[in-house]
Amino acid sequence: MREPVGPSGPNGIGPTETPTTPSAGSTRRDGRDGEADLVLSARGLRKSFESKEAVAGIDLRIHPGERVGIVGPNGAGKTTTLLMLLGAIAPDAGSVELVGQALPERRAAAMAEVGFAAGYIPLPERMTVAETLDLFATLYGVEDPPAAAAGVLEELGITHLAPQRCESLSSGQGTLVGFAKAVIHRPRLIVLDEPTASLDPDVAMRVRDRLEVMNREHNATLLLTSHDMREVERLTTRVVFLRAGRIIADGPAAEVVARAGYSDLETMFLAEAARLRGEEV
Amino acid sequence: MTDTAAGTTAGTTRGRSGSRRRVMAMTRRNILVQARNPGHWFLLLVLPVVDGLLFGSIGVAFGEGEAPVRLLMTGVMLFHLIWQVTLAGSLGLLEEVWSRNLMNLIATPLSEREFLGALGVVGLLRTVVSVSVIALIGAGFYAVSPDSAGWALVPGAAILLVFGWAITLFVIGLTLQYGDSAEVFSWGTLVLLMPLSGVFYPVESLPAVLQPIAEAIPLTRVFEAVQQGLTTGEVAWGELALAAVGTAVTLVAAIWFVDRQLRRFRRLGWVTRFT
Repeated sequence: MREPVGPSGPNGIGPTETPTTPSAGSTRRDGRDGEADLVLSARGLRKSFESKEAVAGIDLRIHPGERVGIVGPNGAGKTTTLLMLLGAIAPDAGSVELVGQALPERRAAAMAEVGFAAGYIPLPERMTVAETLDLFATLYGVEDPPAAAAGVLEELGITHLAPQRCESLSSGQGTLVGFAKAVIHRPRLIVLDEPTASLDPDVAMRVRDRLEVMNREHNATLLLTSHDMREVERLTTRVVFLRAGRIIADGPAAEVVARAGYSDLETMFLAEAARLRGEEV
Repeated sequence: MTDTAAGTTAGTTRGRSGSRRRVMAMTRRNILVQARNPGHWFLLLVLPVVDGLLFGSIGVAFGEGEAPVRLLMTGVMLFHLIWQVTLAGSLGLLEEVWSRNLMNLIATPLSEREFLGALGVVGLLRTVVSVSVIALIGAGFYAVSPDSAGWALVPGAAILLVFGWAITLFVIGLTLQYGDSAEVFSWGTLVLLMPLSGVFYPVESLPAVLQPIAEAIPLTRVFEAVQQGLTTGEVAWGELALAAVGTAVTLVAAIWFVDRQLRRFRRLGWVTRFT
């Protein structure tokens, strides 16, 4: 029997030191090391719906260029955390700063630097792909939306989709266009919820390749959730593992897995899911 | 995409200019979506034609002289003015609900005010089209000039627009909570108000038990002022002032309600119902 993933603390696999990029900066006297450089800073986030606690105190700091995956079984609090980080849900307690802008007061300024896409959210109906990208480029404040739309479509190799109505796209095409929508304004932070869910392997690979290019060439920061643990291992440099609304592990995937005594992230995920169901692991 | 310095957003517009562009972009989206939905054409053009012909012909058939047909045509024209404003606002949000686009919009710099501003612009455009159709039918088929009620029409129409917006805000607040189940309110609220607000007849024509309710509705004052304008040619400033005060109170209540609903939307995580 595997050692279960323990709680945070000396006997568990508690959060490891957040890996920092060269730009993460120095330690400050107030203890908020490199705070000014952070792309995302969440402190003490809590959220309950009726009597159920969905997020039970999450602290998360992400530096420029980091590739962070939030993982955990269903009900661990991933989507609620993500929606709080985007300002779509107000936390009961705690605070969020995105690209140096405090939410909710500076939400508009923050969102101009953030791109979001989710595999399960469709594109708006009754508009063509070109019109949709033009709309979102304008909302994000891009100066030349048609040029930006043409550019991102070309980069993803889907220029031929421009005149098609969004509702006529296949699931894979829609996800690619949704991804184009999320990155059309060159965001500093790209937030993706299940980015390659129900995609063909070749299309999923194109999305992953594009994310890696954006991260490598433009220092874009990635924050994603996924149930595909191999995808998380490949795409991220840091994994934040949630259980019952708490971070139980935080660090490079290999380190998190090794500390918990598993061979890979998927095995660890399955063990956590089984634990939730009350099964022996 | 063209290369830019790492960590910066490619050529962007900020401040008021950015806000104006976002309102215009959402206005264009609403126009495209509504223009490509046959249901909207029915509400925008077909229904005004039907109502214009229906009420114009009833006025001719059952009235004596020009007065009844003028009263009915002016009433239906003003009713469509407020109805189209309400439809544009409430259906604009519902279109985003139906296409599950709310989360896409929330994850942009678009503010609630900008979103509502775009719906307001579309509402005005719908009103111009719809009212023009009825005015043309009135002038072409029944020899009723759209300005038969004289100057009372100007403040009256302004009050109706504001009242229409107040109703829209209430419907938007309900839609945030109930999703597409609130669709009935988008067209039903004003249908409920129509018989009570004396659009086509004096309030005294209503059953006695309903008359106090009718008197309390700001719309009633506007239609009474317009009816006085039609019969005497004078502007009933007293009625219009009462209507303006009642409308202002309704608008304040509507703003309070939609603000409360937006806070609850974020606090209770209602966004997950629309994804």
